[in-house]
Amino acid sequence: MGALRQNWWLPIAIVGAFSIPLLADSYSQYVVNLVLVNVVVAIGLNIVMGFAGQLSFAHSAFMGIGAYATVLLMSRVGLPFILALPLAGIATGLLGFLVGLPAVRVRGLYLALLTIAFLSFCSWVFVHWKEVTLGSTGMRVPRVSVGGIPLATDQAKYYAILAATAVMVWLATAIVRSRWGRAFVMVREVELAAQANGINVMTTKAIAFGISAAYAAVGGGLFALAIDFLVPSSFGLLQMVTQFAMVLIGGLTSIVGAMIGALLLSILPELLREFRGAEEIAYGVLIVVFILFMPDGIAGLLRRRGWLPRPALLSRRLEGLRPGISSTGAHGLLPVRKASAEGASQR
Amino acid sequence: MEFAIYLTAGIANGSLYALMALGLVLVYQTQNFVPFVNGEFFTAGAFLGFTAFRTLALPYALSFGAAILCGALLGLITERVVIRPIARSHHLSLVLVTAGASIALQGVARARWGDDIYTFPPIFAGQAVDVAGIPISLQNLTVVLVTASLSAVMFVFFARTKLGKQMRAMSQSLAGAEIIGINPVRVYRLTWALSGAVGAAAGVLAAPFMLLYPDMGGIILLKGFAAAVLGGLNSVAGAILGGLAIGISEQLVGGYVGTVYIEISAFVVIIAVLLIRPQGLLGTSTVGRV
Repeated sequence: MGALRQNWWLPIAIVGAFSIPLLADSYSQYVVNLVLVNVVVAIGLNIVMGFAGQLSFAHSAFMGIGAYATVLLMSRVGLPFILALPLAGIATGLLGFLVGLPAVRVRGLYLALLTIAFLSFCSWVFVHWKEVTLGSTGMRVPRVSVGGIPLATDQAKYYAILAATAVMVWLATAIVRSRWGRAFVMVREVELAAQANGINVMTTKAIAFGISAAYAAVGGGLFALAIDFLVPSSFGLLQMVTQFAMVLIGGLTSIVGAMIGALLLSILPELLREFRGAEEIAYGVLIVVFILFMPDGIAGLLRRRGWLPRPALLSRRLEGLRPGISSTGAHGLLPVRKASAEGASQR
Repeated sequence: MEFAIYLTAGIANGSLYALMALGLVLVYQTQNFVPFVNGEFFTAGAFLGFTAFRTLALPYALSFGAAILCGALLGLITERVVIRPIARSHHLSLVLVTAGASIALQGVARARWGDDIYTFPPIFAGQAVDVAGIPISLQNLTVVLVTASLSAVMFVFFARTKLGKQMRAMSQSLAGAEIIGINPVRVYRLTWALSGAVGAAAGVLAAPFMLLYPDMGGIILLKGFAAAVLGGLNSVAGAILGGLAIGISEQLVGGYVGTVYIEISAFVVIIAVLLIRPQGLLGTSTVGRV
């Protein structure tokens, strides 16, 4: 009974989610599908960036790899979508683990540079490996059917994407609460203390990268399903900036925040399409404004209002001590140690 | 002969990368992070030079000066609006905030210039001088000379002047620098004005070789990263050396392996250097402490 009272919103949300296709036309259904895709992608980025505190530009590359892998597993190997998607997720997750391994040696700023080089490298491969990706001409996504039901309309695709997104969100909440989730936060906060507590920093960081890459890949596979056509430019730097904007606006270290960010920033570009350059200006200004004035994002605001639970992983006392995590809006969105007397020895 | 031509072209391109790297190293020297907005200083330099030279028909030297001044101004504005409010927070916040500013400025450029591609008319139409039998275009020569003089000025500035020393002191310990009476805001202003000016100088120098479009800064910024990482982020000489090394190796790869691979050589360099020798060729490694 208590569980029901606490989760009163759940049946409403389920009924609401199932009735969207009855009300939406094809275009708005397509936008809703993109929202769900971005929820998966943004949660993945939030795991590596918010929880584990590693700034990574590689996320949109992983999304592209996942998208291409899913489609190729269907068209070349002949696997059904329902197998191709998780396989692509696992394979990309392993790749992400490998990319994350150097993170123990190559830190902070250098890691950002390393991952941006990785992203640029992948973008180049998407364009130039024409035998596989068909380059800039783009690749049509084969017709997908799940359990004998063809997903021909945006409405039909919606149910498949909704199911996958629900699983991924549920999994993310489980991961964040697990011992791995706690290890991520500990490594982000005080690496040395994490080590002293028997956490293997290297594997922890690599696992964070792996999980986030798997999320990006599943998001990419769903993206392929939603838009039907893959071009390399979908997985470039602009995509990366969009994803940064999602997690920053929604709020780092919050699964709900990632969902809010994904919702807002999937709808925003559809509204701005008419004006040249407006999309980029909006993303850029939003990123700047949120970092300057609201570094803990919308989720932080909701936490202060008491509408979202405070992060259970940090006690209130610790929050007060650590300027970066404090809910009073101090600056520092990532692993926070304020530049001060020990500034030079930080890296 | 073939090799010599690749070499000269590599040195000219490499000088541009070196200038980009210099703009990044300047900020790194004072604030310990690499800004992502310098590609837009480059774009601004190119487009402002274009406007002054082509649209307003000013002489090239004057257009060059105007572009650099505007670059410095853009640097100052960036510092005031996005850097100073959070100058003391974690360097990754600063990286992200400059990435945000960068994409916003790209949008501004697109709103003004659209998705068209512009070409900057050549300044010295096809003129070349012979150096030991190798023809070197005057355009390339200008690039190399301007880079050489700017980097010499920078080098003396950091090594000899009081302000240059103050900048280096700040990167080592902000609090310590403040205790001995260094005014950080003054130093930040100067850093960003210089960084903007150097970026814009690279842009207006590169404009005759390149196609002008709003995203043109992105790729050159990556080359600048590669050059700075290769040379060592805290070394002016390293930035120059790194830029030249990348420029030359690109031309050699393009000439002997295939032009498709020109684009990725910079990324491969970044990945290789960071995995093997993260402090770069001339950089000094800082001892990590908790």
